[in-house]
Amino acid sequence: MSHEDPPPFLGTWPRLYVAVLIYLVILIGVFHAFTRAWR
Amino acid sequence: MRPWDWVVLVITVVAIVAYGLWKSRDSNTTDKYLRAGKSMPWYAMALSIMATQASAITFISTTGQGYVDGMRFVQFYFGLPIAMVILSMTAVPIFHKANVYTAYEYLENRFDAKTRTLVSIIFLIQRGLAVGLALSAPAIVLTVILGWPDEWTTIAMGIVVVGYTVLGGVQAVTWTDFQQMLIMMAGLAATLAMAIWLLPDNIGLTGALTVAGAAGKLNPVTTAFSWNDRYNLWSGLFGGTFLALSYFGCDQSQVQRYLTGSSIAQSRLSLLFNAVAKIPMQFLILLTGAVVFAFFTFVQAPILFQREDMANLRKDPKYGVLQQTYDRAFTERRDAAERLTAGDESAKAAYVQSQQKIDQVRKEASAITKSNDTNYVFLHFVTHYLPEGIVGIIIAAILAAAMSTISGEINSLATVSVIDIYKRVSSAGTDAHYLLVSRLATAFWGVYAVVTARFAKNMGSLVEAVNLLGSFFYGGILGVFALAMYFPSVNATGAFVGVLVGEAVIFALHFTGATSFLWYNVIGCVVVIVTGVAVSSVTHTRTN
Repeated sequence: MSHEDPPPFLGTWPRLYVAVLIYLVILIGVFHAFTRAWR
Repeated sequence: MRPWDWVVLVITVVAIVAYGLWKSRDSNTTDKYLRAGKSMPWYAMALSIMATQASAITFISTTGQGYVDGMRFVQFYFGLPIAMVILSMTAVPIFHKANVYTAYEYLENRFDAKTRTLVSIIFLIQRGLAVGLALSAPAIVLTVILGWPDEWTTIAMGIVVVGYTVLGGVQAVTWTDFQQMLIMMAGLAATLAMAIWLLPDNIGLTGALTVAGAAGKLNPVTTAFSWNDRYNLWSGLFGGTFLALSYFGCDQSQVQRYLTGSSIAQSRLSLLFNAVAKIPMQFLILLTGAVVFAFFTFVQAPILFQREDMANLRKDPKYGVLQQTYDRAFTERRDAAERLTAGDESAKAAYVQSQQKIDQVRKEASAITKSNDTNYVFLHFVTHYLPEGIVGIIIAAILAAAMSTISGEINSLATVSVIDIYKRVSSAGTDAHYLLVSRLATAFWGVYAVVTARFAKNMGSLVEAVNLLGSFFYGGILGVFALAMYFPSVNATGAFVGVLVGEAVIFALHFTGATSFLWYNVIGCVVVIVTGVAVSSVTHTRTN
């Protein structure tokens, strides 16, 4: 791989970064629902 | 420990160490010894980064944290994915293009030698103190299981870890980390599965969650804000982002892992893997602690989990009353929990009340024995209730976690000592000379870790102690890297003064108790940046 190679998923690095952040938001949402469900 | 536990444990440790040494057999230059010749694939770096952070403390103390305080500690990691994205965008390409061995070399390129030296020394102090804590956790494990004195267990662990790190350098560290992380995942899965399996027949996972939830243990998201609340959504997102930026972007024990990458893309992928995998892993570890809590709702545990502390408590005049209160509260709690899991919501008040009585008894017992047994909950469960062979896997996982962290830390301490300190004083040596000095420096820091581990045993929850210690210094270090990367007008004097003022403010915050430690990183970083910009604008001499 050269220094500026694209990531193996989603084509570009910015898209991969956004996907990671969306994943974080979903994870917090799921944990919030978990907290409320077992409170 | 029974025979099959020993077999599993010994085979695992020997196999990991042998594999690491075999993979690092060509570490015959300084570049290969300290930077793996920039040849590592992303998956090895990814698991090495994760393994370096996941120490024995993660297993022992985090599960105890789940038992005692619930799952809200997971919020501490909410900032990690954000930090990984920022570092992938900025620090990774900067460090790769600068072709550095340590993060602090970059500071001399950008500012001057004194700023690099100051930050290197701060790292050596902070990481040097933490490495003793990291070594004390497995010593606790071996002491509890084998009954050996602390000194022996610490020295035994030290010899193994220092041995393979001195011989194989960063390649041995990375490849052993890779194997150790796989063992940790297996150990974690085995523990959670066994904790669920051991629950009474009529309870099951749903019943366990009902019981743990009613006791306030299932709280991975708490939205109420307080400056003095260590773990909530906001401190996790903001404080956690700054802490993760500091740890993964400015701490050589982590930076060195992804500096070994064969390209920017490989290093980025290793960080982003952690962004995705770390939070679920912590969630499962804390959930294990919560399930263990549910288990002990139906099976009576001793008042204190640490055998020696319990023996000391029995000698105290108040013991009889405490034990009677505890027995009664346990029976009340178990009865209420059984009604609760059968769907009787009216039992919740009695359940919570009896839980409070148990908490109060444990608090008084801890005050009498002057102990904190958070770190012994998990070990008590593993050694008393899990079957032969499984105990061996879990103990191997804990030791693997410990070895991965300690090896990474002494390897990075040696690298900074040689590259940022020694090589600046003695720059005319051959590569063979620096390779020898690197091995000697690794051995020195290994011995230092063994000595300081002796003092770390009674520091309360070890996981909190490590994070608190890091927070004293991370804000200042992050601030100076932020100045270097994002504030081109800031000069060397501004950066140097900024670090000193930032550290002074962090220590002032701690000793006045003004705020929780997670905010030290944010406030320290901001103070360094503001001071650096202000001093630079006054001195007007830009250094580049």
